[in-house]
Amino acid sequence: MRYITGLLLFCILLVLLGCAPQNRIILVPDPDGHVGKAEVATRAGTEVLDKEDAMTTVSSPSAKPTQVVKADPAFISKTFSEVLAVEPKPLVKFILYFEKGTTNLLPESVAQIDKILDVIKERNALNIAVEGNTDSSGSAALNDKLAADRADMVRDLLVSKGVNTDLISVYSYGQGNPLVPTPDNVSEPRNRRVEVIIH
Amino acid sequence: MKTLIFLSLFLIMSVLPVYAFSDAYALPSGSIGYVHTMKGAVSILRKGNVVQAAVGTPLYSGDLVRTEKPGAAGIVLIDNTTFSLGPNSELALTDYVFNPKEGQFSLVAKMAKGTFSYLSGLIEKLAPNSVKLGTPDATIAIRGTKLLIVVPG
Repeated sequence: MRYITGLLLFCILLVLLGCAPQNRIILVPDPDGHVGKAEVATRAGTEVLDKEDAMTTVSSPSAKPTQVVKADPAFISKTFSEVLAVEPKPLVKFILYFEKGTTNLLPESVAQIDKILDVIKERNALNIAVEGNTDSSGSAALNDKLAADRADMVRDLLVSKGVNTDLISVYSYGQGNPLVPTPDNVSEPRNRRVEVIIH
Repeated sequence: MKTLIFLSLFLIMSVLPVYAFSDAYALPSGSIGYVHTMKGAVSILRKGNVVQAAVGTPLYSGDLVRTEKPGAAGIVLIDNTTFSLGPNSELALTDYVFNPKEGQFSLVAKMAKGTFSYLSGLIEKLAPNSVKLGTPDATIAIRGTKLLIVVPG
């Protein structure tokens, strides 16, 4: 009798465990088709996701994440249909380059402005981020100002071409966000730039 | 003359609030992102107050974004990190700092319940270790770029 009660309790426990909410984490390709990497950890262990649709399941903070399996595409589309439908469209990014130490656009970047205006119109853009950057030559303080001046210049240019100023958010990252990482005090044309990011 | 000054002041004062309203989409300073897409009912719990979200509503560090059923939301943070939430979901934006000038970065977010997609932004490129995502049971260290997460409520 005691044996049967024990068995019964064990079964109930199994059912409860089976019902425990399970967090599932799936690595999927980004809009460019690139598949990255993620480590899912609990107190009991870690699993690495590094392939398309790699999935691990976690049922408690003290249980090890399950061995990685490939998620069923039908499961993904069923579970995430409403999430995938609401995802913001991938951003469109333009990079405008400048003459050294100035807010003068290079000629090929001037030619990009019309394309930027087209995309803003065509997407009916909600937010346009204008982000100023410099290379690492010169002092950080001067670069902060130069980056801000470059971003302001591009904002003013877009507004003069009819873009609603309320849609534009201006940021300045000084020399802190290089496209091509360099040591300090390196003149690098590819880092002298303003990025225009359209959502 | 005095009347004229008063009149112009009055006119300026009456125009200002209208201007403030037309400013709906520009991100106020200190905000960390905004609601980009929406379906159904979406609310934001901020310092104990509930704010009904609309497209363009700015977000702040510490906000809890909550969708109803039916409801869904896509949010974009200023470094272009993107979170999308399905119905009946809760995302806590526990801590967010994006300040490349000073080299300060932090993205701590907890997916408390629901369905989510996450797409990496600049912050992960500039300071991968500053990004800490979590569910109630696990922590996720991500090195790019897109994840889907489901946390049954």
